[in-house]
Parts: sequence; C-alpha cells; structure tokens
Amino acid sequence: MREISPRSPWAILLIVIVLGYAGILFIAPLIGIISAAFADGLEPIIATLNDPSVQHAFYISFALAIGATAINAVLGLIAAWVLTRQRFRGRRLFDALVDIPFVFSPVIAGYAMIVLFGREGWITPPFAIVFALPGILLAKTFVSLPYVIREVQPVLETLTPEAEDAAYTIGATRWTTFRKVVLPEIWTALLYGIVLTFARAIGEFGAVSVISGNIEGYTETATSFVFRALNDRNASGAYIVSLLLCLISVIILVLMNVLRSRVVRKGV
Amino acid sequence: MAFDSTGVQTNPRDTDAVFGKWGLRWVALGYLTMFILVPVLVINVQGLRLGLDVFWESITRREAVSAIWLTITSSAIMTVINVVIGTLTAYVLVHYRFPGKRLFNTLVDLPFAIPTMVTGVMLVVLYGPQTAIGQFLSDELGIRVLFAVPGIILALLFVGYPFVIRTVQPVLLKIEAAQTEAAQTIGASSWTTFWRVIFPIIRPAILTGALLSFARSLGEFGSIIVVAGNIPNRTQTATAYLYTQVEAGNLQAASAVSMVLLLVAFAITIGVDVFRWRRHA
Amino acid sequence: MKHLKLTLAAAGLLALSAFAPVAAQDAPEPITLTLAGYAVPREAYGDIIPLFQRYWLDQTGQQVIVLESYQASGAQSRAVAGGFAADVVALSIEPDITRLVDAGLVSEDWKDDNPYSGIVTQSLVVLAVRADNPKNILDWADLAAEGVEIITPDPATSGGAQWNILGAAGAAERGFVPGYEGETAVADFLTALAGNVLVFDRDGRESYLTFERGIGDVAITYENEVIGAALAGGTDAYVYPASTILIENPVAVVDTYVDQNGTREVAEAFVEFLWTADAQRAFANRGFRPVTPEVRAQYGLAEEGEEIAEAGAGAVEVNASIVYPAVEDEFTIEHFGGWSEARATYFGDEGLFTRIAAEIQG
Repeated sequence: MREISPRSPWAILLIVIVLGYAGILFIAPLIGIISAAFADGLEPIIATLNDPSVQHAFYISFALAIGATAINAVLGLIAAWVLTRQRFRGRRLFDALVDIPFVFSPVIAGYAMIVLFGREGWITPPFAIVFALPGILLAKTFVSLPYVIREVQPVLETLTPEAEDAAYTIGATRWTTFRKVVLPEIWTALLYGIVLTFARAIGEFGAVSVISGNIEGYTETATSFVFRALNDRNASGAYIVSLLLCLISVIILVLMNVLRSRVVRKGV
Repeated sequence: MAFDSTGVQTNPRDTDAVFGKWGLRWVALGYLTMFILVPVLVINVQGLRLGLDVFWESITRREAVSAIWLTITSSAIMTVINVVIGTLTAYVLVHYRFPGKRLFNTLVDLPFAIPTMVTGVMLVVLYGPQTAIGQFLSDELGIRVLFAVPGIILALLFVGYPFVIRTVQPVLLKIEAAQTEAAQTIGASSWTTFWRVIFPIIRPAILTGALLSFARSLGEFGSIIVVAGNIPNRTQTATAYLYTQVEAGNLQAASAVSMVLLLVAFAITIGVDVFRWRRHA
Repeated sequence: MKHLKLTLAAAGLLALSAFAPVAAQDAPEPITLTLAGYAVPREAYGDIIPLFQRYWLDQTGQQVIVLESYQASGAQSRAVAGGFAADVVALSIEPDITRLVDAGLVSEDWKDDNPYSGIVTQSLVVLAVRADNPKNILDWADLAAEGVEIITPDPATSGGAQWNILGAAGAAERGFVPGYEGETAVADFLTALAGNVLVFDRDGRESYLTFERGIGDVAITYENEVIGAALAGGTDAYVYPASTILIENPVAVVDTYVDQNGTREVAEAFVEFLWTADAQRAFANRGFRPVTPEVRAQYGLAEEGEEIAEAGAGAVEVNASIVYPAVEDEFTIEHFGGWSEARATYFGDEGLFTRIAAEIQG
C-alpha cells in the first residue's frame, strides 16, 4: 500500500469533504449528546447512575446481549462451517435465510414470537417466554444472528481442507484438528463477528419493545429505559443513559478496530 | 442473498474431515430453522391467513403503498449518497496521509456500534426545533428536519455510513500500487486512473456495500421511530407503519406488508447477483 | 483465550441469575403486583403506589413490590390479551377493557358492583397552545384553519386519541363548531382537522411531548396532561373548548392472571385503594378530575345543592392551586350512544375517521 501526503488542492478538497461530511453526520450529534448529558452538571449523572431501574436495565441489557452473543457465536460458527464446507440440497436457501434478520423489521420479529408463544399461541411453552426475559433473549438472538456467520464464512472459504485432512490422517482427533488447524485461521474473524453481534444485541429496541411489555425493573432494557425516560420528562436521564450506551459503543469500536486491522493484515 | 464481496465460491466438499457430516448439519439447520425459517413462516401464514384477496387488499392500501414507497425511496437516496461519499472516504483513507487519520479510521465504525435508538435521540438533541441548529434550519432556510423526510434520510445515512467504506477499503488496499503507478507514468491523469483502472476493480465491492446499506435501511427501526412523524402517506415509513399496525392489532396487514419488504430485499439481491454474474461471464 | 472463556462462563452465570425481577429487601415473602397502565397517568401512580405499599404493610405485614409498565392504551390492552400477565390494568378507554373481557381474562361483571362503574379518573379534552397563542387558537373551529399544525396521537393505538377525535366530532354535532353545519358538518370538520395533523404519535404522552419539543401550533390533549406539564415546569398554555367530551378512565383486575399469579387479594385491594380519598387526591394533584363526591367537593367540583360528607384528612393534602373549571357544554360518551356505537361509527373498518385518515393527501 502506498500512502501519500495530499499535494494538489483537489486532494485537499477531497479530504475536507470526506471529513466534513463525517463531522456533520455523526461527530456533531455525538458532541450534542455529550453536552446535553453534562448540561446540568454532575448531580443528575450521579442520580441516574444510582437509580436502581437504570442499573437493572443495564444489567438486563448486558446479560441478555451476552447470552444472545454466546448462542450466535457457537451455533453461528457451526452454521458457517456447514454452509461453506458441506454440500446438500437446500444449502443455497439456508444461506439466503441468514441475511433475513438484516432486512426484517424487528417489530415483526417480536410479533412473530407473540404468535408462536403468546397466550393463544401455536406453542404453549412450559415457562413464560413473551413478556418475560426469555423472549427478550430470543429477540436479541434473532436480530444479531447474521454477523458471526457472515464474518466467518469468507475466511472459511479461503481455507483449503488439505491441512485438516493431513492432521486428521496423522491421528489427531476432530476437535484437536479444529482447534489447532482451523481455529487459528478464523479466530480474528470470529471475534470480529462476536463484537458486531454484541453491539447489535445490546442496542436492540424494536423487537424488545413489542415482546417485553417494558416492565420497569424487570424486562426493561437500557434502550427501553431511554425511550421511557423521554416520555417521563426525564430528558437528562435519557441523555445520560444514551451517553453511557455511546461509551459502550466506543469500547466496542476500539475492539472492532484492533480486530479489523488484524483481519485486514491477514488479507481477508 | 449471499453478501460476500468477492463473489468467490470455493468447493464445499461432501467428505468432511473434521466433523461428522450429519451431526453438525442438523445443529446448523436446526438453528437457522428455529431462529429464522419459523418466524418467517409464521409471518407468511399470518399474512395469508385471510386469503389472497385480503392479502392483496392489505398490500395495495394507499397507506401501505406509500409507506413502502417512502422506505424504498429514502433508502435509495441514502444508498446513492452513501456510494459516492463512501467510495471517496475509502479512497481518502487508503491513499492519503493526514493528521488524525487513525482516529478517523476508528470512528468510521461508530454507527455500527451505537444503538440506533440512541442515534435517533442524538438527532433530536441536535436538530430539534428548540436547538440553535434546528431553529436556524426552520426559520432561515425553511427546512424541517425532524418529523419530516430529511430526518428519515439523515437517520438512515447515519446508520448506513460504514457499509460502503468497509467493503471498498480492503479491495482498494489490495490493488497493487504498481497498477496505478503504471497508469500514471503513461500519462493518465489521476481522474482517468481512478475511472479506468481503480473503479472497475472496486465496482463489485461498491455494489455489495450499497446492497448491504440498502437492505439494512429497509429494516431500520430504532432511529426512525424517534425522528419520523408517523403521518400516513407522508412521513410514515414501512417500519413505522408496521409498528402502528402491530400495536393497533391489524396483524394480518402488518404481516402482509413485511412479506412485501422481504420480497423487495430478495429481488434486489437477486438482481445484483445476476448483474454480477453477467459481468463475470 | 483461557481468560475469555472464563469471562464468558462468568457472564453466563450472571445471565442466569438475572432471570428474576428486582429482588425484595428483607420482608418475609413479599408479593409482586404487576400494573399495566396507559401512557399518561404514570406520575399519578408513582405517587399512589407508595401509599398503597404502606397501607398493605400496615394491614397485612406483607411487602408489595409493584412492577409498572406504561404504553398506549390499545397497545397495552393487546399485550395483556397476548399474554402479558398483568394483575391490574389501568386503561384510557373502556373498549380496551372490553377486549380483555372478550378474551376471557376479565370477568364480564367487572364494573357491576363498583359504585363508579370501574371509572377511576376523569378529564377533559383540551387544546394546548404556545405560551402567547400566536395563532390565536381559542376553540375547535380554529383547528381547521389553513396552515395550523396539529399534534394528536394515533387513534389506531391510543385510547386518548379516540377521546380527542370524539371530542371534536361531538362538538361539531352539537353545533359548537361555527362554519361546519348541516348533514356533513362532522365529516367536513374532521377532514379539515385531520389534514392539518402534523404528527400522529403512538400514545398521548409521546404526542404531548412532541408538542412540548416545539413541534406544531396546537396539541389536542387532555386536561391532566397540560396540568401535569405545568407542574413539571412547562410554559405552554391551554384553552378549554366551549364544548368538549368528559374523559373517563377505567381500571380492572385481570381475573385469569391474578388467579394464576396468586395475587387476587392484593390486586383487588389495590384497585379498591384507588377510590380512597388519599388516592383520589393524589390523582387530582396530578391533574385528573377525581370521581368520589367528597374529594370532588374538595376541588370545587361538587354538584350544586349536593349533600356531601366531609372528606377525611389523610396523607395527601389538597393542592388548592389546581383549578378544574366547568365548560359551557360538557358531554360524555353517551352522546354517541355508548362506546360500541362510537367505535363503530368512527373507528371501525368503515368508520368515519378511519376513512378520513386513509384519505389524507400526501
């Protein structure tokens, strides 16, 4: 790669346009929310952080986002493997299905779960799913499903099975072969997918708002709290929790970039 | 709908050295069936529950048509802007050195990481009618941002910002410097170099990025719900329409419209696939 | 990698332990009561719940944890019908409780034994305007003027929105909207009004907040919302139309769920508590018109010549600064022949407002 300092005025103009656009599009709103959160000093911030319903909302958001990420990391990895390495009737159909959560309105996904597991639903589950925490877990899992698969798939496609065959023939177990031969290759992409999955899962609002009943201190997530705080005339609470969510995003962002540079260096 | 940027298909093999073929396959297909196929089937059954006539009526209702149309047009406008600015941004990030570049490169992913509902709140904080910017725009320029179409497009631009950049950037990085140098030494201007040499190579990646951001914005909800005015036929997007219909208990109508949105997404993906396949052939 | 695995495992445990509502403190076997409310009375319930918790503790020695959820009345009612196992519902309009009766969740005689027919608060549909009323909006007719931007919630999801539309329609029917007379008065007026609506939010609270954020010239809203806004430091003004509808908000115990949850006793006690003088005053101090005669008298709402027992003093004092004026022509849902008639005429599939809303020009 060849990086140069801009010399012509056109090049400088180009850089100004690119940076200016980003500045207006998302740096300005970011600064806006920071100043809104700090508008009344530290007192409301401390009050918000000490609010048990805020703490509980973050707790629920984190715990269920981690749960959804774990499900999608393990099963997504298996699905990516099967979709790239195996050939069977219907493979293309299943491969196409993976992107559906991307385009599907999350509200409709939430509603589909009510049709399935609601009071007069198709299935009567042994424990409450909708309007309870398992429903939120399902919703978060659905919306964040594609990321691990879509990150891992291209890397798996570049791997040749010969190394695996070799390891296998010299007597390595399947698990060892996977761990020693395949995992090191896909590790970075997998982690990147996991980070994206977590980001999407923790930020989910639409499906959760339909399926959770928004019960304060029970099924209310951090994003639902922001929505409620706005309706409670608790603007500062909404802005502070929004800023906290942004802060989490920045941590996610740094992780993503460390991983991205590794992915790019590997030429993926 | 395979969104891989390279379009390369390696040979999946029938013999699987590492894991047993069937065990893993059933786990994977069970997972995809349970989490995706079943909800989609539920929606299809719900949408068609009252027969084809009712289905047709609910997708041809004026509010439904305008909501779908508003979503498609604002997503399309967003995609065009994203393609231009995303390609330029990727180009700048790959080719030029400037202060703060590393930080900027990190910030590009911010819209991926921020919950989209928070995006909506941020736009309200910045462009709301009580803010200086909001007042300036409405009083001096006569532009209403929030609860109007510009707000919807702005929210989509925010949410879709990284897609084109992040699909084009790695391809640009891979283009050998020699290739562009060669073109420049034979006297081509940098514009011609870009158009004749670089653009054909990155075109598939641009398409993929455009497709991803378009698809993503069809399903976008969190930010839209905060900034859109929800007026039928005017500022109600498809997701907002769906939300209202679900909350209002018109579940068959909601299901029918979301089936149409899925079909739109599929049609576009297939269209792009065909386009790509023709170019390869 | 090892560390990551440990962290994930720990996080998993954390996730499992989170599958429980906020834990109680130290009282023996506290009971949990779930309240599903419509959007606007949340502050009032915020005042009343602690009173009830104290009352229940005094009566039984048991702690009550109250889980609260608020959203648009229609949406809330559908969520409860769909499986949200709330013990008590506090909704904006009676049809949203009727839906639960039809679903077999609330018994058919839910309001029969109650002296107030299950109605716990009243309010009026009013018009919120900007502080100095620059568009000079004084009554219903002004909403139909060219270029007036109206904020009102969506009748498809919000019960309050239905009160608003019925308020406008009733005023027109009763001849209080000059310029709209004859056979098509109501249809013409509603068409002009709907054409001026700028934002249809999903519930009454969201709608009023949109107005508070500076959007629109006038919000069709409820007396309790504008009083609540003023108490919260809002600077917008409001006007009472000469003719407007009396809003009546019902509450009910959800029989099926309280029997499932084992909460019937506490749920019934909570609902009864809402008609005590303290609870009624708490509502009144948040802008809701009380329904019990003795508390109505304390807020200057007694009927003339009515004999009323003195309301006992309690934990909640009367806020004398809140005034509930009379309007020239106050009508109730009975003007339309009751809810089922009103719903069929205005909001059913072929209802007048349904058709008008579908025709708003884009």
